[in-house]
Amino acid sequence: MTTQKPAATAGPALPARPGAGPRPGHARVPRNRQQFNLLAQDRRFGYMLVAPAVIVLLAITVYPLIYNLWNSFHNDVVTSGVPATWAGLANYQRIFTDDLFTPSLLRTLGFTVVSVTIETLIGLGLALALNRAFRGRGLVRAAVFIPWAVPTVVSAQLWKDMFDPQNGFVNYALGLLHLPGAHTTWLAGTWTSWAAILVADAWRNTPFIAIVLLAGLQVIPHDIYEAATVDGASPWQTFRRLTLPLLKPALLVALIFRTLSSFLIFDVVYNMTGGGPGSSTTVLSYLDYQAFLTQFDFGYGGAVSVALVAFALVIAAMYVRVFRIEEAL
Amino acid sequence: MIRKKETTGSAFRGARGTLVLAAVFALAVAGCSSSSSAGSSGGTQVSATAKQTIVFATQGLGSEGTATQAAVKAFEKAYPNIKVDILSLSPVSDVALQQLQQRFIAGSGTPDVITTDVVWPATFARPGWIANLTKFHPDASEFFPGQFASGQYKGQQYAIPWFINAEGLYYRTDLVKTPPTTISELVSDAKAAMSKDKSLKEGLAFEGDKYEGAVTAFQSFGGQLSSTSLANINNPANVAALKLMSDSIHTYHIAPQAVSTWEEGQVQAAWQSGQTPFALNWPYLFQLSEAKGSNLAGKTGWVPFPSASGGAPQASLGGDDLAINAKSTHQAAAWKFIQFLSSTSAQVARAISAGDPPAVQTAYTPALLSAAPYYKQEQVVFKYATPRPVSPVYTEISAQLQTMISSVLSGEETPSAALAATAPTVKQLQQTAG
Repeated sequence: MTTQKPAATAGPALPARPGAGPRPGHARVPRNRQQFNLLAQDRRFGYMLVAPAVIVLLAITVYPLIYNLWNSFHNDVVTSGVPATWAGLANYQRIFTDDLFTPSLLRTLGFTVVSVTIETLIGLGLALALNRAFRGRGLVRAAVFIPWAVPTVVSAQLWKDMFDPQNGFVNYALGLLHLPGAHTTWLAGTWTSWAAILVADAWRNTPFIAIVLLAGLQVIPHDIYEAATVDGASPWQTFRRLTLPLLKPALLVALIFRTLSSFLIFDVVYNMTGGGPGSSTTVLSYLDYQAFLTQFDFGYGGAVSVALVAFALVIAAMYVRVFRIEEAL
Repeated sequence: MIRKKETTGSAFRGARGTLVLAAVFALAVAGCSSSSSAGSSGGTQVSATAKQTIVFATQGLGSEGTATQAAVKAFEKAYPNIKVDILSLSPVSDVALQQLQQRFIAGSGTPDVITTDVVWPATFARPGWIANLTKFHPDASEFFPGQFASGQYKGQQYAIPWFINAEGLYYRTDLVKTPPTTISELVSDAKAAMSKDKSLKEGLAFEGDKYEGAVTAFQSFGGQLSSTSLANINNPANVAALKLMSDSIHTYHIAPQAVSTWEEGQVQAAWQSGQTPFALNWPYLFQLSEAKGSNLAGKTGWVPFPSASGGAPQASLGGDDLAINAKSTHQAAAWKFIQFLSSTSAQVARAISAGDPPAVQTAYTPALLSAAPYYKQEQVVFKYATPRPVSPVYTEISAQLQTMISSVLSGEETPSAALAATAPTVKQLQQTAG
């Protein structure tokens, strides 16, 4: 069985023999030396064809990763005019002892938990609502998904303007509804800044969760719901015992994507608060950006990047584990 | 069977070979780019009389952009063999800085001529990114001394002043009879104007967002940033300046909390919409206020901002210098272009059309002062122009100050606690820079 495949791929490269018809020995192990050479040639040609893609991949993903790792073990401030020197683990020691990295990590984790929770709950609600049949459903679905098509930078700038204390829509709406907070300068305080960031992030990303969950809902067969109705299950029981378990795979996919992108949040913070007031909204990727592009400290920035990648891998691994447990059940 | 094994073996070797080749290629490409950036000079220089194109990287939108284009046209007319392409940088100075630094780190030979904020030349000169201009013998006496010094690093000249800028206090002459000379006058004038004219939304507008502007505002409020002050920024003058910034929001209530998120643009909007009797801003706003059709024409005055600690006022020195990329092969033509931009006629033209005050002292001609009388008031402010530190690590120091100011304006920290917390880092940064 295993020997058939290479012979088959070698087929087209063989010189055509007019009138020979189907060759009975074609699918078998090549017998003579000439065929071996052709096989090898063919393989070589195949590798040549994939080489450009492999080179590009290596150049844009593997090389930067290795270069970054190299950076993290060196003292390298590129604006200093001094060549990089070996630093050993000093940069890593710095990130775990200074007063920048750990607070940023905690903020990032906190934001990730809160934003993913809120977005998942709203996204689930949206998906359930959009899965029901009603007039104009197509239009409503399209409208709900529009925010996700807006680039994050644009949505962040948009929300920054919406939260403007004098000309923004948020305070105008609060004032109109006689709600408290109509005179809040949102981006001037720690918690109000976080609230603004959360809203901007949720507006942009909740639709993504809704899309994935809606797709998950649509593959659940309808007859089991009918069976549940016949058995007299309450709506809550139906949701808890049928919808939720069957939705779990889609839910986990949505969670993995959102948790990782939430953990790596940058655009919203960069546009709305610049990590301020003070450093109260400085998340890990913003800290990394500052290290690389304001201080040009490639050593420290490299260590932060490596830590970011490591944490992202841990998060991914945790979800994969949850997946495995699900499969085992 | 044995033969089969051989085939897979060679196929595997083939695959590994391709991967190794690809890796070597990728590293070689990367190696080339980094080794070319290690080269120190711009290679074979093109003579100034040869036909060539140079690239000029500059900021500036609106009237400033138009003025730059006009200057380029005039230059191309005077030197038909040199064509100048404009590379537009971000109007946000911190972003423009990154755009330039990224090109320098990549070792690019273009842009040939760059506009550099007065606080950047030392940062660019230390790694050898910009050319030493001492060989062209620039004439120091033409320029304001403070700005000429901003282009120096280790006694050598790396940048030439293009236009000067200093931050001052705009006041509405119809709401404030005599401009304040002390802080208490400023506060009481602002309060009086606010209670008299209910259409005013605030008494004082300044830029307090977490960016470079917060540092210039801090300096204009009286913050001390000389190299001796940087050894310990936790000094009484700095406490007073930072406290005044904070008090204007939280104690005197003359500035809205929103100023802690404002940049020049929002200050300009507040001033131009007539909602504030006082605003801290740069000279460009004078030209806009006095322009035809402006509702503030004839109601605008501009004075140095009174010092928070009661000393002589400080007007934070801004403005732009011009420098040449060390890797440029068109340095002779680039120098001709710089000379042209700093000529009296080009300076006067830009001053009138874009409101950029000339860096060349002889450009304050009677012709300029009659075309734009407000330059008389501006010269008074320029007298108090105070440079920010000329240091190769200025950006890092500034980032520390920005975070400090931001945390105070938002009310998270007290001025003295914030200064005490930031002082050691600033001191260390300054020491490592040497």
